[in-house]
Formats: sequence, C-alpha cells, structure tokens
Amino acid sequence: MNAYENAIEIKGVTKRYDGFTLDNISFDVPKGCIMGFIGQNGAGKTTTIRSLLHITDIDGGEISLLGLDHIKDERSIKNRIAVVFDELPFHDVFTAGDMAKIFEGMYPEGDNAAYQQYLERFQLPMKKKIGQFSKGMKMKLQIACALSHNAELLVMDEATTGLDPVVRDEILHIFMEYLQNGERSILMSSHITSDLEKIADMVTFIDRGKILLTGYKDEIIEQHGIIKCDKEKIAEIDPEDIVSIRTNNFGAEVMVSDRENAGYKYRDCVIDPASLDDIMLYYVHRDAKEWS
Amino acid sequence: MKLYRSLIYRELRLTRKRIVLMLLLFFLLALLLLIPVFIGGFSDAAESDESPPISILLLAGTIALTNGIMAGTNNGLQKADISSGWKQYSFVLPTTAKQQALSDMLVKLMLIIFFGLLSAAYCLIFSLAAHYNAIELILNIYLCTAAAVMLVDVAYSYIMMFAKDKNDLAVIGVIAFLGAGALLHVADIFFDIKLPDKSEKDGAVISDAAFNRFAAGLGSVKTTLCALAAIAVICAMYYLVMWRSHERREP
Repeated sequence: MNAYENAIEIKGVTKRYDGFTLDNISFDVPKGCIMGFIGQNGAGKTTTIRSLLHITDIDGGEISLLGLDHIKDERSIKNRIAVVFDELPFHDVFTAGDMAKIFEGMYPEGDNAAYQQYLERFQLPMKKKIGQFSKGMKMKLQIACALSHNAELLVMDEATTGLDPVVRDEILHIFMEYLQNGERSILMSSHITSDLEKIADMVTFIDRGKILLTGYKDEIIEQHGIIKCDKEKIAEIDPEDIVSIRTNNFGAEVMVSDRENAGYKYRDCVIDPASLDDIMLYYVHRDAKEWS
Repeated sequence: MKLYRSLIYRELRLTRKRIVLMLLLFFLLALLLLIPVFIGGFSDAAESDESPPISILLLAGTIALTNGIMAGTNNGLQKADISSGWKQYSFVLPTTAKQQALSDMLVKLMLIIFFGLLSAAYCLIFSLAAHYNAIELILNIYLCTAAAVMLVDVAYSYIMMFAKDKNDLAVIGVIAFLGAGALLHVADIFFDIKLPDKSEKDGAVISDAAFNRFAAGLGSVKTTLCALAAIAVICAMYYLVMWRSHERREP
C-alpha cells in the first residue's frame, strides 16, 4: 500500500464533446473525507466521474487516485476502489447469490462474509432475480457489492437519486459507518443537496463544465449569505459582492459570497444563511445576475 | 484461476437459457433423424463403396451442421452487457481487457467442444444403427460449419464493439448484422460457392462422381486438420476482437 494525502487529485482535466466541454477542472478529495460533487443535470458531474474512472479518455490534465496514476496504475487502483452508479449495472436474470460468485474471483480482497452481512442487513433475498427487485433494493445490492471488498475509495454517481427518503437515510448511514476508520474516502455526486448537507465534509460545485466552488462544506455555507431587501436597495450593494439576485413581488434576495464582510457593509439589511441548494441556484444564474 | 471461474460462470449463467434451448433443439433433431435409421432404411449403407450415400450425408450432416451453427454463433452476451450497463461497469472492475477476452474465448471453445462431443455421441449411435462409419464426415461438417459461423461472429462482434449503450444497440446491431452478411457475400465470391448452372442429364443438381469426390474429401483427415487449423486461427481472431472490444473506452 502506498501512502497518499489525497484520495483523488484532479488537475486541469479537459474533456471535449460536441456541444460540451469539461473545462480545465481541478479539485482534490483528501483521504478520509466525503466530498459532495454537486451541479445541475448536464453540468459535467458524470463526465468528471467517467474521466477519473477511465471509462472515457481525457483530452488533457492529470488524474490520480489513491496516489496512483489513473491510467498507468489502473488495475491496482481498481482493486482498491468501488463504484456505485445511478442504475444497477447487473443483468436482471442474476440473483444476489450469483453476484457473490461473480465478484468472488474478481477482487482478491473480496469478503463474502461482509457481503452476506450487508444482504441480511438490507433484507435482500439471495435467490430472487434482480429483475424483480425494487429500485431501492437494486441500489442496496449495488452498495453491498461495492462495500464488500474493503475498498479505500467509494465513487458514487447519483446513487441516491430516485430513492425514497427512508432508503436514502439508511444508505447515508451506511456511508458514515464505512468512513469510520478514517482511511477511506467517498466522492458522491448528487443534485440532492440535502443528502450532502447531512454527510459531506467537503463540496465541489460544477456548472457548465467548470468548477465554481470547492472546499469544506461548512466554510462554503458560512461564507455565503442571502440579503433580503427592497429592489431599490440593490443599487447600493457593491456588484463585486453579488453572486446573483433573485427578484419577486415583495423585493429581492441577493446572494453574497462574503457574508461576514456584507454584514459590516450593509448593516441595515437582514442577511440569512444560505443552504447548498441556495448556493447552487444562485451560482447557476450568476450570468443573468437578476432572475426570478 | 478464481478470476476466470468467476468470469466464465457469469457468461454461462447469462447464456444458460440459450444453451438449454440449443440442447433441446439438438435432442429433438437427433431423435427425428435417428428414427429412419432405426426403422432400417439404411441397412444397405455398409455395402456401398467408400463414399457415403446421399441419404446418410443428409441425416448425419444435418445434425453436424446445426451443432456447428449453435456452437459458433454469437451468444448475445455483448448485446446483453451493453443493454444492462455491465459493459460500462466492467471498466471499473479490476479485470483487464485481456482477461475478459480470454474468458470470452474460453466460453466459445467450451461450447465448440461441448457441441462437438454431442455430435460425436450422435454419430456413434448413428454409425451403429446405420452400419456405416460416419464419424469423420460428421466431425468435419461440424468443424467446418463452426469455423464459418465463428468467422461471421468475429465480424459481428467487431462491429458491436462500437455500441456504447442501449440507444446505440439498434443501429449498431443492424450494421453488425449487415456486416456479417457482407462477410458471407465476400466468402461466396472468394470461394465461388455456386451450384452448377447445368444440371446432370438425369435431372440431379450434382453428378454422382462430383458428389462422391465431395463426400470423400469432406470425410478425409486432411479436411479435419484444415478445419481445426481454421478454428484455431478464428479463435485467435475472436480473442483479438474481444480484447479490443473490452479495451475500447467510451468516446
């Protein structure tokens, strides 16, 4: 095992498609962290994940996972990572028992007992065909498979999308347990920011193929605020402080990227804390400046 | 070894229904074709000269031909893997493209050996019942057919590797089908596989002498060796195509 500081390091990665470019993106996922990767649909989350997993080739930049090059050391990396996609990639005719036999030979670190424990915990039947599973059961099976070979890094692409809140909560709880030893890391892409607010240590926000924000979740949330004021008041706010402005019949809500500073500058205004959802929303409309 | 056991288990488990159906077809066909032999219609077969009567060639050949097609044909795994998302998932697994290609080829070889053994078992019963040794004949028809169908499968699999998801499957599937058809057409031109323009005086499509030559050639050891060599080469081609297919990243 090699020593590494960051479970994922992405430096200047570019990937061009017809009509979309992942544009020179960079961010790190420190070891032991849960990184929430947020952005609206089509922002580039899946392309980034496909690039770092070498499902697709990149046009430029460098990616390292667990301190190793994502192409040169691909096999070694893939023994030590686990991936959960939004859709179950297993054939409908298989059973959970079949999947145990299939994964048994693939991972040298495979732990069949752990897999059985997860199946019991999730109350997944061994002999029922996967095609007859509900969406929640399918996701649980995928997670059981992913967590049964002692992976150091778990990459999830929209894994909680389409699940009911009870199943989502159960799954998030499993992820917290998974991270307990401090040696494991998670990159979790989602546009359900409430899930990430619950469990993420860090957040990276991508929009239109560019990274807009990356850092510790609490810091990002603390830095941003929403000024609630009249429309006339907007003119008094320094444009440099504004991310974007949302107007409605009653006035305006202005997102500022430095809440503390705004508190001194605009003493007569109420500044509310922003949620990840708000931050995402206001940043998405940053070019329009004023939107409703 | 454990890895290959897992990979082969997956492929066989996934194609189990297809194999069972093929087995069923084989048993039905074998039963149907053995009935006239047991009734005794070929008791004079042993008395004929060194080339087999056309009726024997037909009864023995049909099974060999069918088994050859079943063993060599595409098992639909590539299509199923793309459709289920496993192909994309396989990129995140620690198995290498070479290992996956080798497992694909081993499954293909296993099917060829399995249906070869079934053909051999059939021809043993057939030979005993018809009092005519048709072992080389059946084996060679089987090997030649399997080789030809595998060659078509290589072309089909090569084209199928360009499909990345369910949406591509329909279009690429049609292109692959046409591509495999084109390969057959090329083979037809190259080997000039044509029926004679003029029929024999007695109305037969092929003369007795020509048929005897053909049947004798088909049953020779030379043909067996050539067919085995062809299968070996095509297996290597299949491995290379599957290797490329598993290695190819999505655009």
